[in-house]
Amino acid sequence: MTRHLAAFTAALFLSAAPAALAQTTLNVGMAAADVGQLDPHRATTTQDKPVVAWIFNGLVRFAPGSASLEGLEPDLAEKWESSPDKLTWTFTLRKGVKFHGNWGELTADDVVFSLRRAGDSKSSSFAADYAAFESIEAVDASTVRIKLKQAIPSLLGLVTNYHGGNIVSRKAVEALGADFRLKPVGTGPFSFTEYKPNESITLAAHKGYFRGAPKIDRIVYRFIPADSARDLAFTSGELDLIYGRQDQKWAERFKKEPGVVVDVLRPSELSVIHLNTTMKPLDDKRVRQAIAHAINRPQMVAFKGELTADLPSSVVPNGYLGTDDKAPLLAYDVAKAKALLKEAGLEGGVTVKSVQTSLPTMLNSMQIVQSQLKQAGVDLQLEVVDHQTFHANIRKNLSGVTYYSAARFPIADVYLTQFFHSSSIVQTPTAVTNFSHCKVADAEITAARSEPDPVKQKALWKTAQTKIIEEVCAVPLFEQLQVWAHKTNLDFGYKLTDAIHLGPVITELTTKK
Amino acid sequence: MLLFVAKRLLLAIPTLWAVLTLVFVLVRVVPGDPTIVILGDQASPAARAALRERLGLDRPLIVQYGEFMGQIVQGDLGRSLVTNRPITTDVWAVLPFTIELTLAALFIGVAVGVPLGVAAAQRRDGFVDWFARLFSLAGLSFPAFVSGILLLIAFAVQLRWFPVISTANAADPLDRIRALVLPAVNLGLIMVAYVTRVTRSGMLKALGEDYIRTARAKGMPHATVVWRHALRNVLVPIVTVVGLYLGVLIGNAVVTEIVFNRPGLGKLIVTALNQRDYALLQGLMVVSAFAIVVANILTDLTYGLVDPRVKTQ
Amino acid sequence: MSAAAPVSLAAPSAWSRATRSGGLIIGLVLVVALVAVAALAPWVAPYDPDAQDVVNRLGDPSAAHWFGTDEFGRDVLSRVIWGARISLFVGFVATMAGVVIGTVIGIVSGYYGGWIDRVITACTDVLLSFPQLIMGLILVAVLGPNLQNLILAIAVTAVPAFVRVARGSTLAMKERDFVDACRALGYGDLRIMFLHVLPNILDEVVVMASLWLATAIRTESTLAFIGLGVPPPTATWGGIVREGFDNLLDAPWMSVFPSLAILAVMIALNLIGDGLRDATDPRAPQ
Repeated sequence: MTRHLAAFTAALFLSAAPAALAQTTLNVGMAAADVGQLDPHRATTTQDKPVVAWIFNGLVRFAPGSASLEGLEPDLAEKWESSPDKLTWTFTLRKGVKFHGNWGELTADDVVFSLRRAGDSKSSSFAADYAAFESIEAVDASTVRIKLKQAIPSLLGLVTNYHGGNIVSRKAVEALGADFRLKPVGTGPFSFTEYKPNESITLAAHKGYFRGAPKIDRIVYRFIPADSARDLAFTSGELDLIYGRQDQKWAERFKKEPGVVVDVLRPSELSVIHLNTTMKPLDDKRVRQAIAHAINRPQMVAFKGELTADLPSSVVPNGYLGTDDKAPLLAYDVAKAKALLKEAGLEGGVTVKSVQTSLPTMLNSMQIVQSQLKQAGVDLQLEVVDHQTFHANIRKNLSGVTYYSAARFPIADVYLTQFFHSSSIVQTPTAVTNFSHCKVADAEITAARSEPDPVKQKALWKTAQTKIIEEVCAVPLFEQLQVWAHKTNLDFGYKLTDAIHLGPVITELTTKK
Repeated sequence: MLLFVAKRLLLAIPTLWAVLTLVFVLVRVVPGDPTIVILGDQASPAARAALRERLGLDRPLIVQYGEFMGQIVQGDLGRSLVTNRPITTDVWAVLPFTIELTLAALFIGVAVGVPLGVAAAQRRDGFVDWFARLFSLAGLSFPAFVSGILLLIAFAVQLRWFPVISTANAADPLDRIRALVLPAVNLGLIMVAYVTRVTRSGMLKALGEDYIRTARAKGMPHATVVWRHALRNVLVPIVTVVGLYLGVLIGNAVVTEIVFNRPGLGKLIVTALNQRDYALLQGLMVVSAFAIVVANILTDLTYGLVDPRVKTQ
Repeated sequence: MSAAAPVSLAAPSAWSRATRSGGLIIGLVLVVALVAVAALAPWVAPYDPDAQDVVNRLGDPSAAHWFGTDEFGRDVLSRVIWGARISLFVGFVATMAGVVIGTVIGIVSGYYGGWIDRVITACTDVLLSFPQLIMGLILVAVLGPNLQNLILAIAVTAVPAFVRVARGSTLAMKERDFVDACRALGYGDLRIMFLHVLPNILDEVVVMASLWLATAIRTESTLAFIGLGVPPPTATWGGIVREGFDNLLDAPWMSVFPSLAILAVMIALNLIGDGLRDATDPRAPQ
């Protein structure tokens, strides 16, 4: 295994050496202390997802710069067809696609291996998405057939270059084992070369990329957690592309700076407070309603900045397939909140506890919530802990009010299941992120998943959202857009409007002058 | 002297053992475990449990402790739980950066602090004295992350003398020095403050002593009196402070390392703690504790050198 | 301060010597003023320190908001005034704990030597082998971030430092003739340690202490930067500096004003420290 690796790195260095003179390096600055991981079937954080997108491909892909399921285009598959009942899908693979380094050519076997791996909870965080898959088989070296147990909203969505749909090299995964996490091997335009803890990831152009050799030779992806330091490095020209601050003032400042383009991208992350319906005093629905009435969403958006935040319309992010854009969210009404508390016998005020991370952006949002709730006589006590303790403790059911900001695959089912289905309740064997112990919409969420009629399906999702809002399992706060900035000498090679991978895609066409 | 060093190193063994045991216990009391970093926040509880088993985190603490101590005795720091890289590799990768930053900060501290302190002591309440006192206090009042950014704005963005990202893994020594200057100044500011204060107060005391007056009365040149005789007496407290901070600097450097984007031991320790990478954290604490032990021995040796009255026991 | 007793014992003209340059007076006035502002915060602060105002986010210093506003539109001046309460408290308590405990242990250790010294040195070495910040970080993570635990974490890092300084100076002092003379006179150990050694090493301890107080306040800020601070919305100087750091390029005053407040405390304490040093130093110039 080590010999294999040595050969792999040696090959990389050899191939890079002759071009060393006129190299174009893209320097990217990310707001994180370190990488989480680059295994596409596990990567979920903002700092990991963009890099994964530069390394891997799916059978189909989101058009660069777009996050729309309607605009999917062929990627590793050159064509596909489905049976009339939409239960059998056959994909024909592109020929001659090479994995990075010496990991050989892509075959149907790699695709089968990858999709099975994505559907296995031992190796993937997205296994639940693939529950409807009955079988994945290689018909021949370049044909893959997927059979479904029942029709699902978007099969193509599950084989895109997103989350579980990313295709990995079977040989590499088997040879590297646990090390694959930080030594990913894919077919994308850039290959992984080096990782320095707390410092950077270096990627090199994949000369044998099937769409053509990338014009940028190297990407250095730096972890610069201090916002000011990242901004200064960008201003001084040491970085070409940076993850911005999700803040109005920040966006305004860089909009004024010459030679800089501020990119405000969708899909957004929905920030929500989940109210633990099993914990006193939140087990009283009137208290939860009071909290919902005390939240002033327009003010929340004003704090976050109109350039970088949107008003949410439901407990599912805007623009997902199935989001109810006229959901009956409880309106801001302090008098009503106070009346509800009085009715609950808590007119003297009530204290609720929240475990909160020390990460500034999240903590800041909670400080606004804290101040708004205070108006209604709700004392929100923040127990600020470090980020790992936060993740551990909210899963141990220790938090009454849990702030969580997330984007998921843009179909309502994923978000509803992970946050509001009883199977996802924390501290159960199938736990995901249902912090509120919500279970009022189980029937609708489950039924919608296998509903073949799109109209009925949407109606089921709408009912589910209405029920969750009515029960006040969660209160949406605002939608946070992704904010990046790049220098004008960087040309992505496509029109950047959306970023399904939370950051701009760097393709073979991207250039830097 | 060799015997003294050997004895001190031997005495350090229980210290290191106590440090390690303390670290071992403390990090396991903190909630959370490395599986969230390794598997991400959406992994299933079953996958987490399987990983804990693979990493050996499900075994009784006493077994883990025994194994860890056994490894250390064999000189093996083990592998990081999160990256699965050998810890020695990561330590060797950052150690040169930490050493060069620490020494540079120390150098700045002494090279600026001692003359400033001496000058201040000579004209008490004079202009130099007030400047030195204010300057050193200002250095202590601004947290390192604020002073760091201010330095970057002035010297890296406005004047463009130095880079903002001080990674400098380039083999070019000039680049490396350029990248070192601002972080060293930032970290050195605190050293300057301490050294100036201690020097000034020690000098004031020394200049009032009888033998100095005698030396002066004998007509000895002013500079000789000050630099040879008076300063000699101030060396002990200066060495104490410098020795104390040699160790403290390694950890305190973390803020400077974050702001200037330098690799370093401090930053690695904080990340290991944040990621609950028990193995890495323990390994790093061995290294940092050992470095501090060495610094302490050097301090005590220096006492003997600068002040013959202190016997090296 | 613990220096008070030996002062009057050591020199009757101490007061006049201490106030010679006027530094002590200025320092005392500054400290009294700062403490008064902190104590009278509810009456002195122009605004509610926690009142958010979405319209005035990150406002420049102005007539209405002398120190500008923070990212929640809160008045920075009011937060600095309220923050003085917590920060001065944290600084004083943590430093005094470190000074008193550390100095006593250090003198005992240096004076007796032998196995006492060895045990104390070993314990000090263990504590000092943790980089100070890391120690604080781990302690706060274990105990939970609230005011008492922060004070405890900062004090724990201060104690061994004072042990070291006091021990080092005592060692040097022990070799001096006057200690032998005291022994020859048959003075008890306690008397020699606290009436003769202590006044002679006090200047170094006082200098350290006056610097450490700022270190304590700064440590709170640094802990908030790399890990955990006092939970919001409580205003502390360290917390305001830390929050300001995120907005340093848009609103530098947020970090600068509380830093200047820390500087004011430092100046005051050092003037007092120097004054006391002069007063306790039997050989200070006339």
